[in-house]
Amino acid sequence: MTPLQIIFIIVAVITLFAAIKVVSSRNLVHAALWLILVLFGIAVFFVILSAGFFAAAQVVIYIGAIAILMIFTIMLTRRVARDSGAQHNSNWWAAAVLSLLLFTGLSWILSRWQGFQSTAQPMLESADPLRQLGEGLVAPGGYLIPFEVASILLVAALIGAITVAWERK
Amino acid sequence: MISGTFNPSMILSILPEISILVLGFLVLFFDLFLSKEHHDKLGWITAGGLGVIIIGCLLVIRPNESVLQTFAFGGMIRYDWMGFTFKMLFLFSAAITAMFAMGMEKIGKRGEFYLLMLASTIGMCLMASAADLIMLYLAIETTSIPLYILAGFITQDEKSTEAGFKYLLFGAMTSAILLYGFSLLYGFTGTTQIYKISNIIQSGGIPTELSFGVLILVIVGFAFKISAVPLHFWAPDVYEGAPTPVAGFLSTASKAAGFSVLLRVLLIAFPEILPYWSAFLVAISTLTMTIGNLLALTQKNIKRMLAYSSIAHAGYALIGLGSITYDSFFGMSSVVFYLIAYVITNLAAFGVVAAFGRVSGSDDIAAYAGLSRRSPALALAMLVAFLSLAGMPPFGGFVVKFIVFAAAVQANLIWLAVVGVLNSIIGLYYYLTVLKVVYLYRSEDEEKPLPIPRSYSLALGVLVTGILLIGIVMAPWLNLSIKSVVSLF
Amino acid sequence: MTTGSVWEWIIKSVVIVFGLLTGFAYLTLLERKVLAKIQVRIGPNRAGPMGLFQPLADAIKLIFKEEIIPSRADKIIFVLAPIITVIPALIILGVLPFGGIITLFGRQISLSLADLNVGVLYITAIASISIYGIVLAGWSSNNKYAMLGGIRSSAQMISYELALGLSFIGPILLSGSMSLHDIVAAQKPLWFVVYQPVGALIFWIATLAEVNRAPFDMPEAEQELTAGYHTEYSGMKFALFFMAEYIKMIAVSAIAATLFFGGYRFVLEDQYPILGPVWLLGKVIVLLFGMIWVRATLPRIRYDRLMAFGWKFLFPLALANVFFTAIGIVLEKLWLIPLLTIAVFLGAVVMVGISETRRWRSHVF
Repeated sequence: MTPLQIIFIIVAVITLFAAIKVVSSRNLVHAALWLILVLFGIAVFFVILSAGFFAAAQVVIYIGAIAILMIFTIMLTRRVARDSGAQHNSNWWAAAVLSLLLFTGLSWILSRWQGFQSTAQPMLESADPLRQLGEGLVAPGGYLIPFEVASILLVAALIGAITVAWERK
Repeated sequence: MISGTFNPSMILSILPEISILVLGFLVLFFDLFLSKEHHDKLGWITAGGLGVIIIGCLLVIRPNESVLQTFAFGGMIRYDWMGFTFKMLFLFSAAITAMFAMGMEKIGKRGEFYLLMLASTIGMCLMASAADLIMLYLAIETTSIPLYILAGFITQDEKSTEAGFKYLLFGAMTSAILLYGFSLLYGFTGTTQIYKISNIIQSGGIPTELSFGVLILVIVGFAFKISAVPLHFWAPDVYEGAPTPVAGFLSTASKAAGFSVLLRVLLIAFPEILPYWSAFLVAISTLTMTIGNLLALTQKNIKRMLAYSSIAHAGYALIGLGSITYDSFFGMSSVVFYLIAYVITNLAAFGVVAAFGRVSGSDDIAAYAGLSRRSPALALAMLVAFLSLAGMPPFGGFVVKFIVFAAAVQANLIWLAVVGVLNSIIGLYYYLTVLKVVYLYRSEDEEKPLPIPRSYSLALGVLVTGILLIGIVMAPWLNLSIKSVVSLF
Repeated sequence: MTTGSVWEWIIKSVVIVFGLLTGFAYLTLLERKVLAKIQVRIGPNRAGPMGLFQPLADAIKLIFKEEIIPSRADKIIFVLAPIITVIPALIILGVLPFGGIITLFGRQISLSLADLNVGVLYITAIASISIYGIVLAGWSSNNKYAMLGGIRSSAQMISYELALGLSFIGPILLSGSMSLHDIVAAQKPLWFVVYQPVGALIFWIATLAEVNRAPFDMPEAEQELTAGYHTEYSGMKFALFFMAEYIKMIAVSAIAATLFFGGYRFVLEDQYPILGPVWLLGKVIVLLFGMIWVRATLPRIRYDRLMAFGWKFLFPLALANVFFTAIGIVLEKLWLIPLLTIAVFLGAVVMVGISETRRWRSHVF
């Protein structure tokens, strides 16, 4: 195993463990903190894939903005930050069976693919992925339309959020 | 390096979307500057604007047959009859929905309502013409997120809030699965362009079970949009809680958008495994029809009944998808044709429910007693819409059902056609039950007037005409459907 | 990757960390001395000559103080919070160039730890993490004041992060790179502060808010919240918060110097690369003096005003700054940028002035 693989396995185990803790911890703030660990693990995956930009963006957006807003919201409602009810209902076995089926199905499907054996080509030293990304987002032959549609989507979501949250007298 | 030059003719391919966006900002502008009493004019602005856009598009940007179907913006968008037909359908149903929304107390005077509806329409238009997985996913989200909010628009009403939230949860879950499918598809093929995936699957030696497994993940996302069994749970609750015009919009435009995407992705990206997915869809179709119709039988609330009926109708449309064969365009065109008729008919049905509900405040089927005496015109519109949904001649619903069943027979799926016919009979029963309440039952409210605003009369008039038009003159519509499907390839 | 270069990294990291820690110690002394001078006092003068050993005395005192963990606090997070606060402060300078390349013991040594091509983004990422320590300290203390301090700080930092992030874009656009090394190199002819006067100002104001310095020290406003988020902390844990704040001051000053004031470059640096760190230190000290000066001069802003200022003034101004910078670059007339941005800035100030005067006149608050 290469050092990179060892790092990957360690980070993956931590991320998965944290992900389980997110749904199983009873204290909302703790759950949010575990979530941050999950998000951080994903940022590390981006680094391992030598996508530094995405790693930094992941940290800025998910950890620095989204998770902090979650914690902020939880803090404003601190009385209900603890969950004392049952953590699963009587249908848990059905969910477990379904998840297991999905998992085995997906693993079987993925095991059929040969592509995992081939190794990725190393990135060219001269390549400037950041510049390519930037140009790809605004080039008419690139991702211009999805980029603009994303802004429409965000404006609509923003207006929608205000509509839902605005308290009318 | 991604580059590509900008060509002014590329604008043509997204002209409807750009115009809707402009209209949306116009609505916001008027929302700010119109005085409070005139806020209900916003609906007229939206509907009128959409009408102008439809006419403009029909005049200016009809895809020219002499020109080959073209990709625009680096293969993100495909400019073809398929997209165009569906775009017109979405614009039409958005315009009608705006007219219905106008008369509703809590939503009609809010500029945001129209803006969100228009944003969602932009998403649908892009769904119909997207030729790239990234574009497609963004289009689906642009459609869905405003719809989540529209479903929960009346925040003071617990049912509406519940509808919005339920829709959001289901939608987020299925779109995550969809995205996972897309990401696997990209991982295996190395491309996000729908029109290149098929070649790579063929030449890259990707095993059938692999592409079929990925396809199922993708279908899950679309099955949610078209509310096919087993992803139909959300529909009754959401339709019941959401404001009625929104429910109508959800059950028509949003569903048609799901089908348009399904058609393009299945036919273009996965033609190799056609026998597999058509068998899969036949199974889903049978389940969807049967479960939808059986559950509709017991409903007391008309919106829930219509929700189950719309699930059943998704099943009928899926018959067409399941009957697609390599050597014939019939199955695919029957889907498009079915959707055209279904959108118009179901909009009318929900329009009647909205017109009745806004005065009586009740959606119980029992409350419709004596409607024929209170408002004969409304009862007549309901008769036309419901009989068309049930598939009675001479209405549109009959013709399209006939075509879909014919497609099944042509594809040697006679048993499926028989199941469809049996289901139609169940359907007829519950539609007629409602009509029985409307026409035969008496109630003490009969003397109370049932005022119908002008926008409703206009919209319902247009829809009823449309239903009759499809039922009587079917050739141009069928031709349009065939032309659309042919342009896909 | 050779053993030599690993050792090089380790040594450089240790030097940076210890440099920052020493800097922290003497920054507290500098602040107390400067404040004393401004307020016509003498300041610390007992421990050692001119009070030079004062930080040492403080450190010993804090280490030997009793540590108290409130009985109803969330213990793990309570202990974790000060650590989470210090780490971002220490690692944020990892991408900063302290100088060019020097030759030492026959080795070519670059005076910086790493040259990330997303250096600026790295700084934003780390800055956005640094909120957590304060928020968690406030929450885990199980104390109203601490809680309010935590909420205030998170709201404040999120709000000012937007303007901060946008003020980064000016130098990025002008240099065409997110690497701090490239940004420094691009400032060889002229410091970016000349092209980006408004951007630099926004950066400076926003960083004051980000490090919770006066006049934006709402999270720890003594008069209202006793001590805000660190009310319940004592001993070394308290010292860690204190340390983080001062290290962050040094870090943001170093970043400001790099982005807008030419970084380590100054006269004679080309001939003697060893001068790089010295010039950088000089620039940092000037900027730090400015921060202390502000603290001595300006009163604390009321909380709602603080948010209004961040969202309604600073953020639009930062957007306008980005917009006009882009215009100047597209037209290839860089001299337009300062003219336009300063005009917009003055216009905005006048508009705010007029509307505020109206409010005062009509006594609507």
